[in-house]
Amino acid sequence: MSASAQGSNDTKKAVVDEKAKNGETEKDKKPAAQLEEDDEFEDFPVEDWTEEDTQIPGSTTHLWEESWDDDDTNDDFSEQLKEELKKLGQK
Amino acid sequence: MAQGLEAQFCNEVNIALRNRDANKLHSILVLEPPFQPIYVQLIASLREHFPAEAEQSEERLQHLVRSTVTETGDSEDEEGRPVQSWGPMVLFLAGWMAFIRDLNIENLLTTYEGLSELQQKANGALQHPTKGILVLPTLIGYAKVFARVAIGLDRRPELIQHLTAATVTDEGRRESLPEKAANVVRNGFITCLNDRNTAPGGIKDGKPDGKKVGVYKMANVCLKILFQADKLESCMTIFHNIMSYSPPIHYYPASERVTYLYYLGRFYFTSTDYFKAQLCLQKAYDDCAVGASCVKQRRIILIYLVTANLMLGRFPTQEIYSRPEANGLKRIFFPITEAIRKGDLESFRRITNLDLSHPSAAWLSDYRLFYQIGNYCEVLVWRSLFRRVFLLTGQQGTSEKSAPTLDLNDVLAAFLYFEKRSYMTPAMAKADSGPGRRHITFVLQDFTPRASYVDPDFDGTDLQPTLLLPDIDEIECICGSLISQGFLNGYISHKSKRFAIQGTRRAGSALKAGFPNVWEVVKQKNLENNKDKVLGWVTEAQSQSGGQVVRLAGARPAGS
Repeated sequence: MSASAQGSNDTKKAVVDEKAKNGETEKDKKPAAQLEEDDEFEDFPVEDWTEEDTQIPGSTTHLWEESWDDDDTNDDFSEQLKEELKKLGQK
Repeated sequence: MAQGLEAQFCNEVNIALRNRDANKLHSILVLEPPFQPIYVQLIASLREHFPAEAEQSEERLQHLVRSTVTETGDSEDEEGRPVQSWGPMVLFLAGWMAFIRDLNIENLLTTYEGLSELQQKANGALQHPTKGILVLPTLIGYAKVFARVAIGLDRRPELIQHLTAATVTDEGRRESLPEKAANVVRNGFITCLNDRNTAPGGIKDGKPDGKKVGVYKMANVCLKILFQADKLESCMTIFHNIMSYSPPIHYYPASERVTYLYYLGRFYFTSTDYFKAQLCLQKAYDDCAVGASCVKQRRIILIYLVTANLMLGRFPTQEIYSRPEANGLKRIFFPITEAIRKGDLESFRRITNLDLSHPSAAWLSDYRLFYQIGNYCEVLVWRSLFRRVFLLTGQQGTSEKSAPTLDLNDVLAAFLYFEKRSYMTPAMAKADSGPGRRHITFVLQDFTPRASYVDPDFDGTDLQPTLLLPDIDEIECICGSLISQGFLNGYISHKSKRFAIQGTRRAGSALKAGFPNVWEVVKQKNLENNKDKVLGWVTEAQSQSGGQVVRLAGARPAGS
C-alpha cells in the first residue's frame, strides 16, 4: 500500500467540467480566455538546478540598450517634421 | 474484516512516522483521484463502517487513529527527554479518512470546504515542535491542490456568493474566497517561518533547517492564490513576514527562488515601482534554468522584465529578442521602442489608443501592460520629441556665454502635427506626407480631427466637444515636467517661450547637456532614494531581533 501518484489533474478537470455543465461554451468566454497564453506562473518541472543550467551557450550578456537616442535627421520621419516646422517659420 | 483496512493504513502511517519519513507519509495520504485499488477499498470500507451520516463516525475514527498510530502519543526522544503527545495529528489523520470518504469532485464547493478543513487540521499537526515537520511535504502538496480549487471557485462567483457575503474582515471589508484560502495556507507558512527549533538563523550545513525549509514553498502557494484572484494588496503581509523572519533566499532551491522573486517583481510592477520590479525580475530571469522545460516561466518573467525596463529607459537588445522565450515579443515591443527613440508621438498614440484598435493592444491589455506603457512611456516620447525638434531647429548660443535654446513654439508645432495625424486613419496619415507632398486623395478630403467624447446625456446643453490638442501653455507645462523629472536639463524663459540648456560646456555638447541619458537619470534617482533596498527580498542573515531591510548594493547590477 505504498505511493500512489499524488497531485493528478482531476480537480483541474472538475473545474472545467463544472463550467461545461453550466452551459458555458467557448463562445461565452471572455476574450481573455482566448489568449495566446495564460499569465499563470506554472510550477517548475524540477525543484533545483545549478548555475550552469542557467547559462545560455554562446550568448552575450548584453541584454539592455541604455543609449538609444536617435540623431539621424535625414530619415523620413525627420524630413516630414522639418517641412512642418519650415511652414511655421514662413508664417 | 471490520476496521481492518483502516487499521492497516494507520499502521503504515505509524511506521512512516517512526522512521521519520515525511515523504513516505505524503505518499500514503493521497488526496486526489484517480485512487489506486487499495484506496478504493479503503473508501468503501470507511463508507460502510464509518458512514458520514453516523454521528459518532468522526470520534470513532479519532479513537482508531489514537490507538493504532502510537507515534501520536506521549513519548521520549533519543536522550530520554519527554516528547509531548501529538493530538492535532490524530485529528488530521481522522480528517483525512473522512475527506477521502466524502470526496465528490463533481461538487467543487464541498471539495473546497473539505480541503479547507483538512488544510487547517494539517496546519495544527505541523505545529508540534519536533514531529510537526513530518507533515510538511504533505501540507505543501495539499496546499497546491487547495490553491487550484480555490482559484477555480473564484472564477465561479455564483457558487460562492453566500460564502463571501457572510465574511467581513475586521476593517469591515468583504473578504473574498481566495483571500480566505490564502489565509488558511498562510497559517502553515507562518508556522514554518516561526520555527524556533532550528539551528541559529534557520540554516544548517548551508541548507534551511527544520520547518524553515517550507518557507518559500508555502509563500509561493499563497502568492499564487492572491495573484490569480487579483488580491495583490494582500501580498504585502507575506513580504513583511518574510522580511522579518526568513533566512536569506539564496539558501533555497532555484525553483522556489525564481518563483518567489517573480511574484515579488510583479508586485512592485503593479505598484508602479519599476526599479524594484526590474531588480527582482532580472534576478528571477538570470536564475531561471534555460531549456525547453522552463521556457513558459522564462517567457512570463521576461515579458514583465522587458516592460519594467522600458519604463526605466532601457530597451531590449536583439540578444533578448532572439531567445526562444521571446518569440513574438519583438513584434509587440519594437514599435514602442522605435516610437520612443524617434519621438514619434503619432505612432505612440496609435499603439496606446484607448479604443484598443492597435493590433498589440489586446495582448498588452491581457498582460496588464497597456495603461502602464501608455502612461509611463509617454513621458519618454515627449523627451525624444523635444530632442528631435532641438536637432532640427535648436539654436546654439550666439556667444560663448549664451545658452543653446529651443523655441517652445516649434515644439508645439511638432506636437500639434503628430497629435493631429494620430487622429487620422492610418491610410489618411500616409497620404499626408507633409506640405507639398500630399496625395491628391488627401487634398480632396475634408479632414477635421475627431473631437473629444461628449456623452449623449449632455444633449441639449451648451456643452461643446473640444479638440484634445495642446497649446503653448501645455507645452511649457510638459517642458517643466520633463525638467523636474531630470529628463531635460535647463530652464524655461516664460517670456520668450524658450527652453535654455544648461551645462553645455561641461558636458561637451548641447545635446548631452540638455537631454541626459534616461536610464542614468532614473538609476541615480533610485539609488539616492535607497530604492535598491527591496522589502521582501532577504539577502543576508537576519539579526535575532528580526526584520530589517537589507541593502542590495553588493548584488550584481541587473543585466550586466
